[in-house]
Order: sequence, then C-alpha cells, then structure tokens
Amino acid sequence: MICCKECLDLLYDYLEGDLDQETTKSLEEHFQDCPPCISFLNTYKSTTKICRNTLNQVEIPEAIRETLLKVLKDHKVDN
Amino acid sequence: MSFSQPKKDKEIEESLVREFQGGNLKAYDKIAEIYQKKIYGLSFNLTRNQMDAQDVTQEVLLTLFRKIKMFQGKSAFSSWVYRITLNTSYMKLRSKKKEPNISIDELMPSFNRAGFQQEKIQDWSENTESLMFNTETRDVINKAVDLLPEKEKVVFLLRDVEGLSTEKTGEILNLTVPAVKSRLHRARLFLRKKLSYYFEEFSSRKAEK
Repeated sequence: MICCKECLDLLYDYLEGDLDQETTKSLEEHFQDCPPCISFLNTYKSTTKICRNTLNQVEIPEAIRETLLKVLKDHKVDN
Repeated sequence: MSFSQPKKDKEIEESLVREFQGGNLKAYDKIAEIYQKKIYGLSFNLTRNQMDAQDVTQEVLLTLFRKIKMFQGKSAFSSWVYRITLNTSYMKLRSKKKEPNISIDELMPSFNRAGFQQEKIQDWSENTESLMFNTETRDVINKAVDLLPEKEKVVFLLRDVEGLSTEKTGEILNLTVPAVKSRLHRARLFLRKKLSYYFEEFSSRKAEK
C-alpha cells in the first residue's frame, strides 16, 4: 500500500485524471483507510476553488475604465 | 479544471489582430475591449493596488497599439498579451520595496519516517461555502495568495485563476509542463496550509458555541 507522502505527491495528477488505472486504484485504496488523507484531498480541492472564486472577481472600477478609454482615444489621435 | 479558448473566439481574435495590423483602428478597439478586464485582473492580483493595476493596464494597451507589427503569430496572441502584462507588472513591482517572502518549504506537509502524515488534518471544506461572502474570509484568501513566492504565484494566477491550460501557462512562462505542474502543486499546498489556520479556528469557534 502507498503511504501518505506518495498519496499527496500524486494528488495533482489524480485530480487532473492523469494517473494510470493501477496507480488510481492504489491511491483510492489508501483513501479508504486514511481519513487524514481524505481530509487533505477535500481541503486541497476547496482551496483551489475558493481562491479562484475570490481572485476572479476583480472588476475594473468605472472611473478607471473611463480614464483608460480617454487615454487610448487621445493616443490614437496623436498617431 | 482548465478551459481552453473556444475555437470560434480564437478565429475572431486572429482576424481582429490581422485587421489591426493592416491599419484598422476599430479592430484595435475590439481587442482592447476583449483584453482590458484580463489585463487589469491579472495586474491587480499581482500588485494588489488599483493605481498600479490601472498604470499597468494602460501601458499594456498602449504597447499593444504601438507594437502590434512586432507580433508575428509564433505563439497565440493571448500568450503575447499575458507576457507583456507580466513584464509590465514586474517592472512596476520592482520599483517598490517588498516584504520578503516566507519560505514555502516550511509550509509543505510533513511526514514521519514511514511516510505517514504527522499533523492532524481537519476537514474544513464543508465550512467554506458559508464563509465565501464574508469580507474577512476574502481578506484571508487575498493575503495568503500575496504571500506566495513569485515563481509559484504567477503559475497559480495563470492556471487556477485565469483558467489557462497547463500547456499555455508553460508557453507564456517558458516552462516545461512538469515544471508548471510542480509549481502549481506547491502553490496549492502552501495556500491550503495558510487557509487551514483560518478555517480550523473557525470550526473550533463554531464547536464551542
């Protein structure tokens, strides 16, 4: 059976679906016997999701958008 | 987890670039419209400052205008735009004094000699949904990302936040696919650990009530 260290090293490829059948099977067997690694897997997945959702929400403030438009317009007239 | 640019969008974009290279200024307006949110979002996440992100966005859009003839189509246009955005953001950051990054290795998982996890791992994943709209949570997440070393941060922003593929991230940063994967995995482990401090405390506070 694989150990926790091997399990966490394989986590990335496991979530990408990049592992071969045999490795996936031994990883899943490890999960069945190891609640800490299940917790690790769940929180690893959550981390990616909540970080993405938080950082994705950057919007250009209206005032900045207007300034940008003006600068680009002026620049085009100059050229 | 990643999505690639739909083929149709890519074709429209390529023809806009060709039109603009041929002198059509309306094509440039469309390109600027498509990219300004992406440029602003990435530069804001790198600099964490509205003024800096505005400066970077403006500079990148002007660079696209001035240097469009230099774009030869060897890589995707979007990769070119991302590369210019990263360079411009780093120039901006270089002029500022920065707090030293903490060592990423200290936050990697630890194991005993037999390779089993040494620390107690709590599963706080169930709590994150209800906390997502909380300002405190968002601050904690933003600060954790800020603390990532640059090498890991940029991979994380392109791959996990912008949603680019591993291959495309490698193309932009001139990294091999295994290098992208390894940096992203380290970034996620670092962030997981940082967020664990916060969510575990939240779980114990909730349990006390």
